Amino acid sequence: MKAMPLTTDSHNTGSNAKGSDIRRTLIEDFDNGFTELVREYQPGIYSGARRLTRGAQDAEDVAQDTFVRAYKALSTYAPERIADLRVRPWLWTIALNLCRNRARSQVTEFAFKEGDAGGTDDPEVFDDAAWAVRLASLSEAQRTAVVLRYVLDLSIAEIGEATERPVGTVKADISRALERLRLTMKAEVLHAR
Amino acid sequence: MHDDVNHEDMREVEEGLAGLVSIPPDTLLRRTVVSVGSADEAATTDSPIGPVWIAWSTRGVTAVSPLFACPTFDDFAKVHRRTSFEAKQLPNDLSEAVTSALHTGDNAAVPIDTTGVGAFQQAVLATCATIPAGEVRPYGWIASEIGNPGSVRAVGTALGKNPIPLLIPCHRVVRSDGSLGNYAFGPQIKHELLIREGAILA
Repeated sequence: MKAMPLTTDSHNTGSNAKGSDIRRTLIEDFDNGFTELVREYQPGIYSGARRLTRGAQDAEDVAQDTFVRAYKALSTYAPERIADLRVRPWLWTIALNLCRNRARSQVTEFAFKEGDAGGTDDPEVFDDAAWAVRLASLSEAQRTAVVLRYVLDLSIAEIGEATERPVGTVKADISRALERLRLTMKAEVLHAR
Repeated sequence: MHDDVNHEDMREVEEGLAGLVSIPPDTLLRRTVVSVGSADEAATTDSPIGPVWIAWSTRGVTAVSPLFACPTFDDFAKVHRRTSFEAKQLPNDLSEAVTSALHTGDNAAVPIDTTGVGAFQQAVLATCATIPAGEVRPYGWIASEIGNPGSVRAVGTALGKNPIPLLIPCHRVVRSDGSLGNYAFGPQIKHELLIREGAILA
């Protein structure tokens, strides 16, 4: 098959150069291209889902189901559509739906229970639990925006696409989330004194 | 001054968030790509030409390759057209169908997956797969069957690159003058396979 010209994105050139290679392989050799796509993007989906669901098991399920859905969808897409696809935000649109379905059914369990990390000496486990509490204090939109921006390094534009929200709204969500997290952490320090 | 303090706090927040990257379990990639069918698993089994690698997807067998050509899994993975992962053994139902097909020559019960193979070669392989054990056909027969009688030479090339030998019986395709013609694993093995199936006399 003749190679197709692929659009390139202006920001974050490293990962997008990889993204355009993957789209090219998807068009020329679908299954191997898809395997590359999973290799490249699944760790990020897992990391994000880990913070947007209740825990590791949910994150694993989301990180697998996202690609099960992506495979089904992509196998019906024409080459032109794959060539123009902004892969990362597209995958996150799928993943966020899956995260939402899980979180929604168990809102109360999302929050860290007092004492969960009380018995641990492992600072990593404690830090993990502490972040779960802090993130649980945010609204869903704020939590999503701040995790995609700072944990996964998505651009504001990509987050807007993934969440189907205007860029201005995403920016506002992020600054409110950061402010809230800052105050929470400050209160923790005072409380600990 | 108040702003500087906020900046400091804010950096702590951002750095804390950036540190929340988690590593997925190493089985997740394999589980995912194998379950959607974009990658294969492979294991060895016995065949009339000795042990062979069998690779399969969720759709069917994608490759057969003798261990004398690929002694290790890494050797096999390098030549296989699809990404593959080594498995202990074939799944039970597939194992039964493959073992029976390899030993009787009747491939009807084996699901075959030629994803990733070009359209012309797919047509050649699909036609070749219909030749029953104990019989042979000339290259020209396949060329006519696929509606391209002038493509005898290309048919030979396509069969020479058959990724699923034995199960897609390219050894049953011979020259129009009755001589055996080429075989990827040598004319001697082709001869032995056809004798075994009763297609030619010893």
